[in-house]
Amino acid sequence: MARFAVTAFGADRPGIVAAVTGVLVEWGGNLEDSAMTILGGHFAMMLIVEVTDDVAVTQLEQSLAERGAPLGLSVAVRPAADPGAGEPVDGASWSVSVHGADHPGIVHRVTQLLADRGANVVDLSTRVVQGEPPAYVLRLSVVVPTTIDPDSLGPELVALAGELEVDVRLRPDEPDIL
Amino acid sequence: MIRPVVLLPDPLLSRPCVPVGEIDEAARCLAEDLLDTMRASSHSVGVAAPQIGVSLRAFCMDVTGHPKARSCHGELVLFDPVVLEASSEPALMEVGREGCMSVPDLTGDVARARALVVRGITPTGAELVLEVDAFEARAVQHELDHLDGLLFLDRVVAGERVFRRRRYR
Repeated sequence: MARFAVTAFGADRPGIVAAVTGVLVEWGGNLEDSAMTILGGHFAMMLIVEVTDDVAVTQLEQSLAERGAPLGLSVAVRPAADPGAGEPVDGASWSVSVHGADHPGIVHRVTQLLADRGANVVDLSTRVVQGEPPAYVLRLSVVVPTTIDPDSLGPELVALAGELEVDVRLRPDEPDIL
Repeated sequence: MIRPVVLLPDPLLSRPCVPVGEIDEAARCLAEDLLDTMRASSHSVGVAAPQIGVSLRAFCMDVTGHPKARSCHGELVLFDPVVLEASSEPALMEVGREGCMSVPDLTGDVARARALVVRGITPTGAELVLEVDAFEARAVQHELDHLDGLLFLDRVVAGERVFRRRRYR
């Protein structure tokens, strides 16, 4: 079996998910992890699909492009081999929320600080809130390695937020197994 | 006896459980199995009967030493539990991240009542009324859900994502 990454993007309207997954079913594909949401009025799909080895990336991409064309979808298919276990990031889960007046560079500066400290971003979403001035909301889930003291990361984020003139909150997100 | 934990997608986890009724030898055995299975898993604070393959309304719980616990009734088994009082007002709900032994790999944010009163029957046949809050209240609600065939997945509050509010004109 092979795994492909499928991305599709187009102005939001009913029927996009049904159309794309319909093509996947016709090719015998099995939809694994996926994230699909509306971004700026466009519907964005990111899918991991398992297919049999005889399905070529180009074949699936062409089928999806044909079916997606009437819906105004841009589609791309790429190989996405199982990355294996990778380097396990052993650490604690934290949620970070940032909000303030919108200006370029907020996501870059926040994630650069996290990267410099070895924290791994596992989920991130942003929203622009129209207004005068427009506001910006950034939400991240990060895994902070056990070698990093979260008590030191917090103040660093707060200092950076002061520089960026935004508010930041850091809170632990460890699940309880019930 | 430590019993294997039933995992998703076993249909047993989605089935409402039936009352235990009279506390007989089988019920007392079930209580022991629940406790043995919970004790064998260092990270679990509760096990519901369907999680060990028994579709009966029973669970065990022990939040002793948990940092988020406030009320703590220690290790206990409850048969045929009934909620006597719980508030669903938003101000009295709290969102927390939950995982479940029956759902490996996934966790999710679930809103639970901060406090509730539950009545049930102990393995000795005595009636027990518990006033629980904070983490113990969360644990009770998680286990009660199992008895109704619900998993935390059925209650996840959309992963704390931020969505656009629809505008009504």
